[in-house]
Amino acid sequence: MVYLPPPQFASASRPSYGETYAKILAAHRRSPATSASSVIILVAPDVDALCAAHMLAELFKQDDVMHRIIPVSGHAELERMRDELATFTDLHTLILLNMGAILDLPSSEWFGEFSTQLTVHVIDSSRPQNLASIFGIGEGGNRIVIWDDGGAENLQEERKAWEALAYEPEPDSDEEDSELDSEEDVEGDDDDEGEDDAYDGGSSSGKRRSLGDGGRPNGKRRRIQRRPSRMSKEDRAQYSSRLEKYYMSGTWHGQSACGTIYLLATVLERVDNDLLWLAILGLTHQYTTSRISRNDYDKYHSIYYDEVARLNPPPPASAANDYDFKSQHPDDTSVYAADELRFMMFRHWNLYDAMYHSSYVATRLGIWKERGRKRLTGLLAKMGFSIPETQQPYPHMAKDLKLSLRQKLDQIAPEYGLVELSYPSFTRCYGYRSQPLSACDAVEAVSALLDVAGGVRLEIEVEGARNGGEWFGGGRVWNIERDEGRKEGEHEHIPPGGATAGVKTVNAMGGEAGMDQANGEGQDLQWWIKNFWTAFDALGDIVRLREALSLAMALHKAIVRQGSSIIDKHDIRTLRGHRVVTITQGPDLALFAHPGVLSRLALWLVEALRDRLSGTSTAYSRSKRKSLPLVLACLNEKEGTYLVVGVMAALNFGDVRKNEFGLAFLDAKERCNARTRHGSFDTSVLEINKDDLKVFLETLCDGGER
Amino acid sequence: MALPPPLRISVTPAELELIASEQLVEIVPLVAMERTAFISGAYGPLRPPTKCKVPIWMATNLKLKKKCHIVPPDWLNVEFLQERLNRETSVPEFSELPFRFAEIAKVLLDVASDDVSNPDKIRSLLQDIREARQAKSRDGLSVLDHSELSLPNLSSMEINEIRPFFIRSMGILTKLVREPNPQQMNQLE
Repeated sequence: MVYLPPPQFASASRPSYGETYAKILAAHRRSPATSASSVIILVAPDVDALCAAHMLAELFKQDDVMHRIIPVSGHAELERMRDELATFTDLHTLILLNMGAILDLPSSEWFGEFSTQLTVHVIDSSRPQNLASIFGIGEGGNRIVIWDDGGAENLQEERKAWEALAYEPEPDSDEEDSELDSEEDVEGDDDDEGEDDAYDGGSSSGKRRSLGDGGRPNGKRRRIQRRPSRMSKEDRAQYSSRLEKYYMSGTWHGQSACGTIYLLATVLERVDNDLLWLAILGLTHQYTTSRISRNDYDKYHSIYYDEVARLNPPPPASAANDYDFKSQHPDDTSVYAADELRFMMFRHWNLYDAMYHSSYVATRLGIWKERGRKRLTGLLAKMGFSIPETQQPYPHMAKDLKLSLRQKLDQIAPEYGLVELSYPSFTRCYGYRSQPLSACDAVEAVSALLDVAGGVRLEIEVEGARNGGEWFGGGRVWNIERDEGRKEGEHEHIPPGGATAGVKTVNAMGGEAGMDQANGEGQDLQWWIKNFWTAFDALGDIVRLREALSLAMALHKAIVRQGSSIIDKHDIRTLRGHRVVTITQGPDLALFAHPGVLSRLALWLVEALRDRLSGTSTAYSRSKRKSLPLVLACLNEKEGTYLVVGVMAALNFGDVRKNEFGLAFLDAKERCNARTRHGSFDTSVLEINKDDLKVFLETLCDGGER
Repeated sequence: MALPPPLRISVTPAELELIASEQLVEIVPLVAMERTAFISGAYGPLRPPTKCKVPIWMATNLKLKKKCHIVPPDWLNVEFLQERLNRETSVPEFSELPFRFAEIAKVLLDVASDDVSNPDKIRSLLQDIREARQAKSRDGLSVLDHSELSLPNLSSMEINEIRPFFIRSMGILTKLVREPNPQQMNQLE
């Protein structure tokens, strides 16, 4: 119930990151019951949280603090974890990464009932934050600590409003409470319901994020009720509307969790290249998934740019003009600042493919039509690249072409409308072990691992297999190489189901499918944990990361394939200002039943449609600004549900809008009594029973009849 | 001596490294520590930024946690090693090097290569020195004599390499010298 200002606002009376970290260490060292479960880190499954967990683990390891990292996929999982954690007696520090900002943590539903020795730290980049967690002070005070990035300083108005409403309930507080309740009903950004039952009237009790009830015993409230000073009705209305505005304007993102931990490391004076690189990855992820705007990105980028200059030798002058870096010596692990083209992983693919699969270029040129593809080859031809040359994998491209690439792009691309082709970013060298890797490529690889490292069968391309390469048959099935290493010949000896579900082999596939149906949920839950740990390991191991690049490329191919077919078939319906797309068939249907992949498809589509469709403002949006709301639904055949993702894109490239779909979904769900489930921490992702989809979509788009 | 008896031919390099880690090396600590007693002795106090001598195992531990910088010993630089290499290749005797230079160099280059200047040049020099000395010890083994027992300036790793062969061959040689072949004696007479 305390929020930590960032170090620049810290003073003697307001402890900041460094002091809090010292407190964690002190608690660890002094508590007699310290064991491996004393410090637990709960991590949400996204790249930013993963990098932050890595950084934090590194800091803890250097300080000899035993800790545990536990991945958590969504709110249901978090609740289950909370129940389990209640039984740990030696737990004294709990750190939540990229989750929990919106939850009313001091309430008894979450951590209000835990012992006073427990401190909960919330490092979350999603906004809005729950005001009770930030401003509330209750019994066992200061147990919840929210690590803030300075945004809470601007919430003074909201603070006043919240405190007024929290501490001065009126005798007719029943009405007030119900007013507050009804507001929060629609606010709820997080809930998880039972899977089968229709979710109806129980909504208010289940979802109540009661502002006024947080942490206050009933006796005190009754006493306050008799206080003579009462707020006038206008004041109350004003305060409530203030809070409503804060909560209902949609979800957006603040500073990345990595950035917060990097600030901590700076305060502790323990930064080095590894931590810096991970922080850069977190920031790049936020930018490439359109969670922060270009301005925010530039702001953080300049900070990291200075850090890179501080910690690394200056890059050789020759490298400034091209995109080709070389490691200077075998131990070179330095980070360089370099401009990054918006082509998708162009250093690992051939040029044509990279441009084809990038959402920026592709959508400007319209590559889903034949005409657009001709324009692309035309652009390349104008720059002096012949078709066979562009089909060469980038490392094998002619050297003079590589050197002149940037110049030619600057000259010729604007003719085609590709003006903002590059943005400033970073690249890291790995000595002589591997080619330098750029930040966005690393982010692509890690998020591909997180999404689909296991659990989905994907075919990836083997280099050299195109155009009738050495080995016929262009692809091989993606296979996670484990350390225990199953050699090829042992595949027949694996019993059906396999000892580890992560190793997918062609022979064991049939057996595993059987096991899948038998275990159902058991297997399903396991894959994302394995993915999490695979991605976590890959962050430290460049070899695995590079292997994952091919997985990311296969994923992109699937996304572009699906996206092009959607646009081609004019599958996008417009319902009252919303664009709605439903995917019920296709070669990659099983792939798109994953929320991460579906979100990416949604982002790609939004980019594609940005120039072609005019903006609209939805009926329930708070602001009058126009935006492009897109709802994407994909059928999950196995479960008989639809996975629905809502994306709110801005009209201008590089801008972001607050995503109001979280609230809209809940609103619509209530009104049409659909059976839904929120599986992840992202409130704009929803799983809905397939019979309810049609009604749900219509209710959603009818929107805001309040 | 962690290997089972059949494999216990001699000490393993890893064990030698462990023994070598007991030696003192100079560090620049980044954290403060009082004079603390360990099993092998008391070390410290660590007062940044003054240098302090601690055993290599402790220096490695601190370095991995980014709590110190290791000062390379005076023989671990390019000029010294280059000069020794030249001497190795010109003179038939072994040149003088610290007794456990191979182990210490390996540990320091692994852990603290950023504290050592020009680490890849040093690695290649060390490799050259090792090859030159190896050639010399091979030649020396072929002219083993039962009375020549002085092996000046061999380092501990090299001694460990030739120890099993050397011991057994010296044993056989001494037996041969003490009891000359009776048939030979008969022939001579």
